[in-house]
Order: sequence, then structure tokens, then C-alpha cells
Amino acid sequence: MPGPTPRPVPLPHLLLGVYVAACIACMTWPVYAQLGARIEPRVLGLPFSFAWVIGLMVATFAVMCFYHHATTRRG
Amino acid sequence: MGDSTIVVGISVLYLGACLLVGMWPRKQSASADGYVAGDRSLGLVVMYFITGATIFSAFAFLGAPGRAYEKGAYAFYILSFGTLGFVPFYFIGPRAARLGRRFGFVTQAEMVASRFRMPALAGAMALVSALAFVPYLTLQMQGSGYVLNAVTRDAVPRWMGGLIVYAVVLAYVWRSGVLGVGWTNTFQGMFMLALAWGLGLYLPYKLYGGVGPMFARLAVEKPEYLVPPGPTSSGEPGSWGAYSTDILVSIIGFSFWPHLFMKAFTARDENTLRRTVVLYPTFQFFLVPLVIIGFAGILFASAPEQPDQILPHILMNVELSPVLVGLFCAGALAASMSSGDAIAHAAGSILIRDGVVTALGKRFDPARERFLIRVTLTGVMVLAYVIALLGADDLVALLLYAYGPITQFAPVVVAALYWRRATGTGVFAGLVAGVVISSILKAEPAWRPWPLHEGIYGMVANVAILVFVSLATQRQSDWDREYLEVAAGGGGGLSAAPSAPPSASRPRA
Repeated sequence: MPGPTPRPVPLPHLLLGVYVAACIACMTWPVYAQLGARIEPRVLGLPFSFAWVIGLMVATFAVMCFYHHATTRRG
Repeated sequence: MGDSTIVVGISVLYLGACLLVGMWPRKQSASADGYVAGDRSLGLVVMYFITGATIFSAFAFLGAPGRAYEKGAYAFYILSFGTLGFVPFYFIGPRAARLGRRFGFVTQAEMVASRFRMPALAGAMALVSALAFVPYLTLQMQGSGYVLNAVTRDAVPRWMGGLIVYAVVLAYVWRSGVLGVGWTNTFQGMFMLALAWGLGLYLPYKLYGGVGPMFARLAVEKPEYLVPPGPTSSGEPGSWGAYSTDILVSIIGFSFWPHLFMKAFTARDENTLRRTVVLYPTFQFFLVPLVIIGFAGILFASAPEQPDQILPHILMNVELSPVLVGLFCAGALAASMSSGDAIAHAAGSILIRDGVVTALGKRFDPARERFLIRVTLTGVMVLAYVIALLGADDLVALLLYAYGPITQFAPVVVAALYWRRATGTGVFAGLVAGVVISSILKAEPAWRPWPLHEGIYGMVANVAILVFVSLATQRQSDWDREYLEVAAGGGGGLSAAPSAPPSASRPRA
């Protein structure tokens, strides 16, 4: 007798999972090493490698805001 | 008025303000739950600062600039792991909060031990936590003593600085429990944020004409410091494997620090908890200016004795107003105290609730339990102070071995909250394997097959053994289903009123 059909993963959960995986890749080898680990171009006076990490912080904050908004039931 | 007098005066004013905020009487039930979890009543503002300020310790003002000064871009790992490290708490925090509200849990270990009805698990987690907390607290005390001593140019001896600062901490933690921690952390957190940004922008401007010109000089004179993974302490090129796995292990373990995890039981509701996690990166930004200060030290004319002393070293060797130095001192004390108070409070709570009540099965009335927690946290603080006083750095280094195994709590907690098939034997075996392997590889780095963080090896062994042994041992009763349904937000077939789980837990107050 077949078991219950697994429920599909809701889109916001799926997108968050993809974002987290991509973010970890961008913080570590090889993506960061290949794309972010350089000095130029400098961003607001900061080396690109530093601005890259700060950019990920900003992006994560934005993504979590969107995710929270999309998944919280409004009363 | 001498410079040291002004610096000491500002620090004393700051400590007085902390004492006032921490001792301010607030409505709190007489039970241990009130003392440990604040009657689960904390709102968003206090939750935001209590989590942020708890995470940022004396390390933020001393260690973060020290890493950037010593290893350049390697310090970016501190910013990176914090960015994602709290995200798991968005999901596990509300689950823990539901269980806590239903069954009266106030610590991580009693929540886990109850799921598996295994008191020994609570005892083991309490022991590892206590072993990690004591040196952590010692370092906070040493940090505050060092800062006061440095900025007053030896006018305040280190032993006295640490003693005064932590006497204040003991006073408000003893009286107000987690509410004292929460409200002082709110005050301290705001102070730290303002100070970090002020110093981080002002010092590069004062020394090099601004942040941009400073990095322009570094790009010409020391470019290797600006490209991750940065140089090692000895000046050799760093390893991407170590850099990347430092981040991974820290992300995995971040949410499971017992003194941080316990805050899941203090929030007013689930939405407050989730919004705290969403807002957390705004607190993380506070590390950016401190890392910038570390880079400022690379070009500085003289060098401190230790890399972690770079920020006070710069402050004491440039022409600065003593008021600014005094404010820095207060900011560094805020960072030390806001972690030290949470650690001391957690240590007392965990040793009594997990070690004595859950693991040993002792039962106390609520007032007695709260008194024992207070006495225990005092004992932990005295022990940490004595170790700091003796300058027993070898002992601190030894005890810091327990710092790593804390990350091995992650699979245990996730299995308890999500995996129905997990068994107590499985999680206990996995935890032991993870702790042993990571500790051995920490002690003997040459035994690692690849240059990765030892926690990764421990985590792989932990998860593999947890899964294998769980599948090989007997499935547990309906209690697992009920527990997980409550965690997921369902009724779980249990009564809606708070109730006690079967065994492995004390009767509710």
C-alpha cells in the first residue's frame, strides 16, 4: 500500500534554501576565491573582497525580510 | 583633572548606569522559570539586543580588530559566518519555544533529554557547556581588566578592573536574572553600536585621511592583507580549506550555543523570535568598523605586544581626547559584560536545571531552585575570576578545547526537533563520537587527512553514527510523535495546558 504523497516544498522555502546554498558558495572556496578575492574594483573605498562580504550581509538581510513577509500569516 | 581620572570617571559612570538598569525592579514570577526565562515575556527590542549583545563579546572590540591586524582578509570569515549563522534559529527557535511553553523547558539540554527520555544526555551537555563557559568567562574578565588597565596607563590594575566590572555583573544577574541581562544588554548594545561606528570611521580619518585612502595605501604597500584567505600568523599564505571550513563549522554551530539557544524560551511569541533573527544582520554590521580598525593597525607606526591589543594600542598612541578614550573603554566593557552576564546566567541555570535536576533527578521547590542557580552562577564567576587572577593561560587553553565540541550539539538538537526515527542511543553515540574526534584532531592537527576545521570531521562522524545507531536501535513510543507534533505547532494529542513530559524531566513548578 503506497504511503501518503509527499507535500511539495513551498516556493519561499525552496528559494530560501537555494539562496543559503548560493550564499555559502559565495563566502567560501571556490566561488569567493574565483570571483570575489581581489582588490579592484574598490567599492566606496573598500577593497572588492571586503565589499563582497558586506554585500552578502546586506543581501541576506533583504532575503530574510522577504522570506518572513512571504511566509508569515497576517491576521 | 588628569586623563586617567577622566577615563576612570567615564567608566565608573558607565558601570553605575549598567547597575541601575540591571537592578531596576521588574515584575517577575518567583519561580526558576521567571529567573531563567523571564516568564517568556521578552519583546522584540530586548530580544534583538539580548541576542546581538550576547554574541558580541570582548572579542568584538579586541579579537576582531586583532584578526584583521594579524591576518588581514582572513578576518572576513567573522563577518561571513555571522551573516548566515543565525538563520537556522528562524526555524528551530519557534519549535523550541513551543515545546518550552508546553512542557516548561528553559534550557536546550532539558528539551533534548526529554525527547529521548535520557537524563544522561542532559548531564553530558551540561558538562560540556560548563567546561566551555568557564574559560569563556575568564577571557571576558581578562579582557575587561586589560582594557581598564591599558587606557588608564596602569592606574587601575588588571585584577581590580576585572573584579569591579564583574561585581557589577554579579549584582544585577543575581537580582534580576534574565531580565537584568536583557535590559542591560539593550543599553550596552546601543552603546557598543554607536562606539564601534564612531571609532571605525574616526580612527582611519585621523590616521590616514579616511577609510578609502587607508585601503589605497594598503593596496600598494601590503596587498596580500586585502585578498582572502590572507596570510597566516607566520606570514605564509593562508589556506582556503581552513578559511572555508572555519566559516562552515561556525555557521552550523552558531545557533546551538546554549546561552544563545536558551533565549528561544524567553521570547514573548514566535513572531518575535523570527523577527529577531530577521533583524540580526543589522547587529552584525557593527563588526565592519571594528575590522576596519584592525586594517588601520597594519600601517600603524608601532606594534602592540599581542595582535588583540591593536585597538587600545592605537588609542593610547595617538593624540585623542581622554573623553573619547573613556568612551572606548566603556564600549569595550559593554562588550565584555554583555556576554559575561549571559554566560554566567546560563552556566548557573544549566548546571542546576540540566546537571542536577534533569540528570541527577533532584527536585526542589521553585524558590530553592532559583537560589541554587544564583549560588551556582556566583561559584562559576568566582572560579573564572580565580583562573583569570592566576593567569593560568594553559588551563584556559585546555578548557577552551570544550569550546569546539559545543558545535557538535547541532545534529543532536536538529534530530530531537525534526527526526522521529532518532533514538537516545543514536544521538548520544553521535555526540560522543563528534566530541571525541573533533577534540583529538584539535590536539593533533597533523592527523587530519585534509587541512579542514576539526569540527567538520567531528560533524561527519556525529551525523553518520547518529543515523546508523538510531536506525539500528529500537523505535521509541508515541511520545516521539506527540513531542514532534507540539514542536511543529500541532496539538500533539496532549492537553493544551502546560504539562510535564514523561521522565527525564522534573515536575513543573
